[in-house]
Amino acid sequence: MRATPARARRWLTAAGAVLALTAVAACGGNSGGGESGSGSADKADLTWQFWIGGTEDQAAWQKVADQAHTDHPGITVKLQGTDWNNYWSKIGTLLASGKAPCIIGMQSLRLTSYANAMLPLDDLMQKYGLKTEEFDKPIMDGLKSDGKQIAIPYDSGPMVIFYNKDLFKAAGVPDPKPGWTMDEFKAAAKKLTSAGKTGLVTTPSDLGTASWVRTMTGAEPLAEGKLNLTDSKFVDGFTNWANFVRTDKIAPQVPSGNTDFETTQFVSGKSAMQLNGPWSLIDTLGKVKFNLGIAPIPAGPDGSKTYTAGSGFGISRSCKTPDAAFQAIMSMTSEKPQTTLAAAGRAYPARTSAHPAWFTAAKIPEAKEVIDYASENSVPLVTSKNWVQVNDLLTRFGTQALNGELPPDQALKTIQDQAGAGS
Amino acid sequence: MVTVNDTVAPAGTARPGRRPALRRDGRYASVFLAPSLGGLALFTLFPTAMALAISLFDWPVFGERKFLGIENYTQLLGDPVFRRVVLNTTLFVVLYVPLNVIVSLALATWLGPKIRGRQAFRVLFFIPVMTPMVANVMVWRLLFQPGGLLDSGLQSWFGVDAPNFLGSSDWAMPAIVAMSIWQGFGYNFLVFSAALDQVPQSQLESAQIDGAGPFQRFRYVTWPMITPSLFFATTMTLITSFQVFAQPFILTQGGPGVSTQTIVMYVYNQGWQFLSMGLASAAGWVLFVIIMGITAIQFVGQRKWVNYDV
Repeated sequence: MRATPARARRWLTAAGAVLALTAVAACGGNSGGGESGSGSADKADLTWQFWIGGTEDQAAWQKVADQAHTDHPGITVKLQGTDWNNYWSKIGTLLASGKAPCIIGMQSLRLTSYANAMLPLDDLMQKYGLKTEEFDKPIMDGLKSDGKQIAIPYDSGPMVIFYNKDLFKAAGVPDPKPGWTMDEFKAAAKKLTSAGKTGLVTTPSDLGTASWVRTMTGAEPLAEGKLNLTDSKFVDGFTNWANFVRTDKIAPQVPSGNTDFETTQFVSGKSAMQLNGPWSLIDTLGKVKFNLGIAPIPAGPDGSKTYTAGSGFGISRSCKTPDAAFQAIMSMTSEKPQTTLAAAGRAYPARTSAHPAWFTAAKIPEAKEVIDYASENSVPLVTSKNWVQVNDLLTRFGTQALNGELPPDQALKTIQDQAGAGS
Repeated sequence: MVTVNDTVAPAGTARPGRRPALRRDGRYASVFLAPSLGGLALFTLFPTAMALAISLFDWPVFGERKFLGIENYTQLLGDPVFRRVVLNTTLFVVLYVPLNVIVSLALATWLGPKIRGRQAFRVLFFIPVMTPMVANVMVWRLLFQPGGLLDSGLQSWFGVDAPNFLGSSDWAMPAIVAMSIWQGFGYNFLVFSAALDQVPQSQLESAQIDGAGPFQRFRYVTWPMITPSLFFATTMTLITSFQVFAQPFILTQGGPGVSTQTIVMYVYNQGWQFLSMGLASAAGWVLFVIIMGITAIQFVGQRKWVNYDV
């Protein structure tokens, strides 16, 4: 059954047609506008894409969405949820296709990657009189890109140490206080490491690793927007951090790519300390069977220094009713929903007036002192455009650095070489 | 054939010969084939061609697209990470395919008609294929991780630490292969079981009467008869194992370093994590060419060893 020349020609024509079609599609570019918003400044049906953990989460956030309708009867906000991991690829395609919903959940660490497709909010903030001073400053700054406000925060939080009070007591180690030093931390961790248990558990991650480096040497991962990982101060801090596992052995070896490892290790009582954010505090409190304490990150030579991260709501460029969307966002980040969320033990609120409700829900006496202290000593972790890739590389090669497979300086050089071009 | 055509086309209504009837058959056939051909064009040919077109562009998810020609391909081939990723994928295939075939064929042969509880075993062996990969991986992670089942077992029985299976570049790939074989052998096992059941008992018995031992019976009677199934199983397993994604993605996320990252994971990361569609499509096409090439070689090679004359 050999193809006759005529048949072959027909096939070629067909294949050619497919390719031509493809080329047309390829040149088509971004066409089509957002469909999700319609109406005027006070009347619109809006869609809101957000990361949602489960049905309970959905119900809690639906209440936040409903606040917009309560304040502006003409505006309704429909919540569309996706779990955290799939959220980012979904948002990427939605924003790229120009069919993104009006309101988009945005995390500070990912903001720079998506900022191009988001509407800067500064004009709207002025027009509707949003008072920035009512929010935590670090996270307000953390949701800026190139000096423009991209999202309005609902939560924030500096990184702090979670610790197991029972293990501390059993080992005869005093509870850590704000201002405790790196030496005191290491001595405590050494004492707590015995009989299959470790003083600390740490895994490579942008926020965690960068916080350790910053408190130890003051080095930051970016300098003037460019990756700065091979800077000698950064290398020193990173090496000190990797040594917790490599040489000090106060923390267990880490498996690759297991994002739960730190939490399961700490919650099950196998490790006495972990670096974490206030957003997980109440959730962790519900999981652990021991007395949970929190402390600031130990102070290096220049004091205790940490990073803040948080999330908020922004507006996609394809939104046709940005005014209505902004009014909805103002309602969603107003005092009432923030207080309700805080009292329910969800995110540590970005609005300062909602903090007391969260501290009441947290039920940890020292929480206020510790988080206030950490907030004062924290800055937002500002990221680069290719941050998702940087973080991916950091987890890959950071694992090798911790486990002693790759010298820490070499791990950093590899990350910098791989990611450097696109920053 | 002529008689059939005569009955289909009444005498006198059509021109002499077979052409009109054939043409009509062809027309009917194309009507029946149209939906699936349409589907093939829309969901297979078009995306494949589209990916080829995208692979010639710098195609970020947001922002300007730029025509690059073959630059994405030269970038890939010059990138030590991508070369390592291809090597990892090849290593996985080289370890996984033979082991999978050996394990499934050995178990299928062992589980002959005389074994009691044969059906129960079959179900048991097939369960891992049916359970969701994510659940399987979770269980294996508890087994493999530091302080996990293997580690604490070795510590309490022998007082030694197990290797950090998922955190060591040397152990991560073997750990993934082991998990994959457990997960995947059930499918080939069923294929081989069915093929072995087709081998006539009478032939095996006459070979036995002629003095052939168990090994000779397998080599000269059973083996030739199951070669079509072996060919099917190895071809399919090769194709799917070149596309391995879920196990390393969930178990190690391609780490430590890039020691367990595979081509499909690379495509996923470039496209959906780093939002660089052009590079992702180019890597996808590299994989496509590799798979096409190997499958073609297998089809050429089968003439030498696959026996269809039974």
